[in-house]
Amino acid sequence: MSRLLAPGDRLPAILILALAALALLILIGPVVVVIVTSFTTSQALRFPPPGLTFRWYQELFDPVRSAQIHRAAGNSLLVAITVAAFSTGLATAAALGIARSGARWARAAEGTFLAPLVLPGIAYGLATLMFFSWLRLPPSFWLLVAGHAMIATPFALRTVGASAAGLDGSLLDASAALGASPWRTFHKVILPLITPGVAAGAFLAFISSLDNVPVSLFLGSASNDMLPIRLWGMMETSLDVRVAAASGVLVAVAFLLLLVMDRMVGLVRKMAG
Amino acid sequence: MEPKGAWRLALPLALAQVLFFLAPLLILAATSLATDENLSAVSGQAWAEVLGDSFNLGAAWNTLRLGAMTVLATTVLAVPLALLHLAAGPGLKKLILLAAVLPLLTSVVVRTFAWIAILGREGVINNALIATGLATAPVPLLQTEHGLILALTQIEMPLMLLPLIAAMARIDPVLLDASAALGASLLRTLRRVVLPIALPGLLAGATLVFASAATAFISQSVIGGGRLAYLPYLVWQQAMVVFNWPLAAALALTLMASVLAVVTALSALGRKVAHV
Amino acid sequence: MIRMNRRALLGASLGALAMPALPRTTMAAGSMSAAVYPGGWDEALRGVLAPALKRAHDVDVAFEPLFAVDQIAKARAARGVAPFDVFVLDPGPRVQGIDLNLFESFDPSRLANRAKLPEGYADRHGAGVAAQVVGIAYNPKKLPKPAGWRDLFKPEYASRLGLTGFGTTFGTVSLIEMAKVWGGSETDVEPLFTELRKILPQVAAVAQPAAIPGLFQQGQIDVMYTNTYTVSLLKSRGVVIEFALPETGGVAFGTTMHIAKGAKNIEQSYQYIDTMIATDVQSALSQAPYFFVPVNTEVTPGAEVPMRSIADLSKFVTHDWSKINPLRPRWIDRFNREMAK
Repeated sequence: MSRLLAPGDRLPAILILALAALALLILIGPVVVVIVTSFTTSQALRFPPPGLTFRWYQELFDPVRSAQIHRAAGNSLLVAITVAAFSTGLATAAALGIARSGARWARAAEGTFLAPLVLPGIAYGLATLMFFSWLRLPPSFWLLVAGHAMIATPFALRTVGASAAGLDGSLLDASAALGASPWRTFHKVILPLITPGVAAGAFLAFISSLDNVPVSLFLGSASNDMLPIRLWGMMETSLDVRVAAASGVLVAVAFLLLLVMDRMVGLVRKMAG
Repeated sequence: MEPKGAWRLALPLALAQVLFFLAPLLILAATSLATDENLSAVSGQAWAEVLGDSFNLGAAWNTLRLGAMTVLATTVLAVPLALLHLAAGPGLKKLILLAAVLPLLTSVVVRTFAWIAILGREGVINNALIATGLATAPVPLLQTEHGLILALTQIEMPLMLLPLIAAMARIDPVLLDASAALGASLLRTLRRVVLPIALPGLLAGATLVFASAATAFISQSVIGGGRLAYLPYLVWQQAMVVFNWPLAAALALTLMASVLAVVTALSALGRKVAHV
Repeated sequence: MIRMNRRALLGASLGALAMPALPRTTMAAGSMSAAVYPGGWDEALRGVLAPALKRAHDVDVAFEPLFAVDQIAKARAARGVAPFDVFVLDPGPRVQGIDLNLFESFDPSRLANRAKLPEGYADRHGAGVAAQVVGIAYNPKKLPKPAGWRDLFKPEYASRLGLTGFGTTFGTVSLIEMAKVWGGSETDVEPLFTELRKILPQVAAVAQPAAIPGLFQQGQIDVMYTNTYTVSLLKSRGVVIEFALPETGGVAFGTTMHIAKGAKNIEQSYQYIDTMIATDVQSALSQAPYFFVPVNTEVTPGAEVPMRSIADLSKFVTHDWSKINPLRPRWIDRFNREMAK
């Protein structure tokens, strides 16, 4: 921040730094609690732990004892990836349409598109099950994806929308005037500009699906057992430490993925601009 | 890409929503106006119970206030962090982005336990307060509105930070240098250069945080506890325990309508700002 | 190139995760699906009942983890499309299921093990498969053993108490028993609310059932009401906890299984319930790490359970859920309002 500082700026700069540090503490603190708890030597979730061990990770990866967790994790990942793909695609198209149009419909459409965000998941889950049962459709993988995608799309729409709102219309007009096809304009002009928003949107949609409890509760079935529902049961009745270990694995995998992709494509830089 | 055909781009999402969102929503609306879940007869009973009852209306007010307080808290913390990210070198940038997504990676299930461990009477904060002599007895934090807002601030902060950072990424560093070189103070640069570009991101974040905090049923009920009444829990209770689906549907639609009103206002503001 | 790499990475990790999940494609005489309570019950029935069913009848069972209220809600929302073949329920949801006509009519004579159940444990609605005994759980390092429900209202206990409402079966029966010591009854909990109002400012927590074990483990609360099953489970995991039978008597109720209306696999469902009450299964389920209270008269309950055999269950307090269910929505609503700050 040094290049921005003028002589009278010390106080505001210190305040900004202090708040930023507090923000980091609040963001990271609870995650540290979870990770530390996952190494506890106690038989049940306990913080602070009396001692440290890798035992719960061994149990979590045990193909026999944790088979059901693995199955649920596989289901949840598959659903979340499918949901992220659909949600981001639908949201990017819609966000560009809205941003490029000054018409009144666009404003109304945006409000409507965001509506699923504000319906409590439990009510939405109940309503979808009633609706699909009425259509005589039993719970299935694709209904689960559809239900999750409706909840996840607004997240993507909002972040892509924020990027698209800043698109310079004259740039696009220039591209069209120079004879570029709409697809080429999208590929060469728009996409590079909105990539941070799209990446953030896809990520949010993925996580929203991965962590969804209420919709899965109704649209899940014996053959589509979902991870959060399973972890919830393990935690509620027996304070099973594998729940914390599962979170530890998720954080580690995401961390590694970020590092690897950063090395390969500079994703972090891209997300950050 | 001419604006004339722009509406076609929104068509796929619109169709998907009619099929998978609007139709279930209509069933919900019909249920709220019926005597039971089989829609045997029409009745205004459920709506009368929601709108004519100070406890239910109070819960609605609490829910909106909780969303607003969470937006306020996340804004106060996320804006400085996003600024730090803007000014930071590549290493620190990476760290901040990683921290920004961390809360999303700990499942809602285990997060509730972490907050019990932090806010409880023998928890991290109380132990620290007593060890440093700032308090002599445990301060009640768990199951208070303050404790809940703190927890929600962590949980929802990514939804504020990510759009904010994405929006700020479009700021041209040359502009910042120029502003400083011209002798503008830090606050003036922030107000004149950074804020106008970051505002759509801020409003996007506020929308997501508000809606998510107001409907965060598991965090509200587990960290907030049974003494704080919020609408999502009442919806769940009426739907799943009491089986009064008309009332559950009416409560759900009340929550949806009130949150949607706030979100639409934020969206309108966002468009206005973007077109200035 | 970039996309390929990312996809390959995701694919690899997905593959690794999904591998143990591949269905074992052996030919079985049949398959069926059953709801099961999440957590301990899920593990127990997968660990003991599923292999026993496979051995005895060559039937594969798929479990769907759902709490009792969620099972009823789901079956109800599905309007006649049975979401699974067999329910497992507490008495409150059981009565609701009967009232809502969610169960197939049950023929106890199709159970080979029927004679091993006490009289009345199998009827035209379903069969009892486990019992639950509810009382007071406390932390013996922090509090002396409470004598009964009345003690919970003394300042030393009230200030360490975790309250939960009428949303669960164990919560409802505990609160009714407390109402009784203050002059109430199974249908009158008014005296309870009068007493609760007095202690409410000191009460350590008013919580969702889901939060209670965590609150207890972290020392936020040191006394609560729950069943022997939860106490044994937490104790086996090193939590400092003891069960106290109230002086007015422990409360007992049965957990029952029912065949869902319109179930596709009726024959297999009977075999499933019959295997559940078989002596070897009930015996395995009553021991560590599962701690069920058995209903099979040939099986001795585990150490934590305050009875010698299921026959002793008649000495426990029981409740009439056909009377409680119509009143419960009002109690739930009342509890919300009384607790609200």
